[in-house]
Amino acid sequence: MATDVQLKSQPQRGRVLPAWAYIGWRWVWRSPAAAIVPLLQPFFFLYFLHVIAPPEYFPLQVAGAMLFSTQNIGSWCLSDSAVFRIEFRLQDIFVASPHSKLHYLFGVAFSNLIPAIPAIIVLGIILASVTDVSLTGWLVLIGSILTIWVLYSAIGIAVSSRLRSQREVWPVGNLIFTLLGILSPLYYPISILPPVWREVARLLPATYAALLVQGVLGLGGPANLAVDGGFLVLSTAVGLVAAWWLYEWRER
Amino acid sequence: MAFGLRWSGSGAFFATEIRVQLHEWLAILTGTLTPGALIIFVAILAADLLPVTLIGALVYSMFLIGQRVLNEAAYIRIDHKLNELYHASPLSPEGYFIGIAGGMLVAYLPPSLVVFAILELIHPLGLVATLTLAACLLAVWAVSSTIGYVVSTLFKDMKTIWPYSALLTNLFGILPPVFYRFSSVPVAWRSVVLVLPTSAAAVLVNGTAGLETVTPPEAILAAVSLAVEAVALFVFGIYWARRMARER
Repeated sequence: MATDVQLKSQPQRGRVLPAWAYIGWRWVWRSPAAAIVPLLQPFFFLYFLHVIAPPEYFPLQVAGAMLFSTQNIGSWCLSDSAVFRIEFRLQDIFVASPHSKLHYLFGVAFSNLIPAIPAIIVLGIILASVTDVSLTGWLVLIGSILTIWVLYSAIGIAVSSRLRSQREVWPVGNLIFTLLGILSPLYYPISILPPVWREVARLLPATYAALLVQGVLGLGGPANLAVDGGFLVLSTAVGLVAAWWLYEWRER
Repeated sequence: MAFGLRWSGSGAFFATEIRVQLHEWLAILTGTLTPGALIIFVAILAADLLPVTLIGALVYSMFLIGQRVLNEAAYIRIDHKLNELYHASPLSPEGYFIGIAGGMLVAYLPPSLVVFAILELIHPLGLVATLTLAACLLAVWAVSSTIGYVVSTLFKDMKTIWPYSALLTNLFGILPPVFYRFSSVPVAWRSVVLVLPTSAAAVLVNGTAGLETVTPPEAILAAVSLAVEAVALFVFGIYWARRMARER
């Protein structure tokens, strides 16, 4: 086909991630509130929990806030990819370009990681100041954050591809990501949850990320790191397959 | 300019907004999620705070109506370009503002009634406390609707709005003592939180419901601040609606 010939004559490789990082950076730069709000949001929540919860939970809650902030990137990905597709009609251009579906998923996820990074770094500094974190602890924490980032970004983008109106973005994003954030024991040990809730929480990848991080930092009581790590990988794989199946790249 | 109010089209637009919002059942449902999450956190971590948190959830839900007004007014103006059509019609600007704010209030009331029923089960309110609650919720609705409407007119695209909307709800809803006790606030900050509409409302209701001790000067400061803010901002909202009736 003529289109194929023309496409092949165009550059097939490019600096995809830096380009998307630049989009993320420009968004922060052009809208200062967009930079400040993601930075402040976990602290508002953390302050509230600090006021109501026993003080010994604070380090656990700081680690939970890092995972919650990462999980929330999925909500921003949902919003961004919906705006790109519905309002700007940009997705048609990406589909027509050599930019693949996978590049697009990672690109949107990466551009949304940029505004979240300052909050995650500040929370990491607070965590280091309220509890001892070993090198293994940092590595597990970073690994869990990256896993949650990839999974929830994929979920956000996949769900957004099924939305038909901008009006659906806020309620659907809020419903999915707030519910997932509440159900997983990010801000408290799983042992204090009612039994039914505990079982439901065990279906969610963020629960295993939280258990893994709490276990390696010695914050949530006895832990089985190998089992929690295995379930994190398994549930993430299942989530990614589901997101890939749900994701609609081309308009029908 | 004489401040005579024009109400043409108000009833029809109010009814339209109620119908539009009632079709958005998902938005109504998700509006309950943040207060619901905080109620769950409190139930797990500090169950004795539950009545205070339920009153906080009612106040916060009223404040969230402002966020919905912000989204709706921006959506009508930016996405649908309906604003100009409405303003070219016999619908008056004040009818437009009050129609959105009132329609949103009615549509988002059912979840608040459920929270109120739960509150009545675990901490029944007396007549004075119930009347105080109703008055405070109306005042918070007046403040938040005006803030939401005015802020909505300041933007040209939907994507820029959400950070401001999230910032406002967090600054007024999560940070001050809305979901927790006023006594947890350091003394130096107490007069500041008493002039914020959300925490003033929560403190007044908690005080009359016997959930915490509020001194007479604190109660007077909270009540006067809330009343002045509600009336002044609502009048400003009507003025702003008239001013913004035509795109510049």
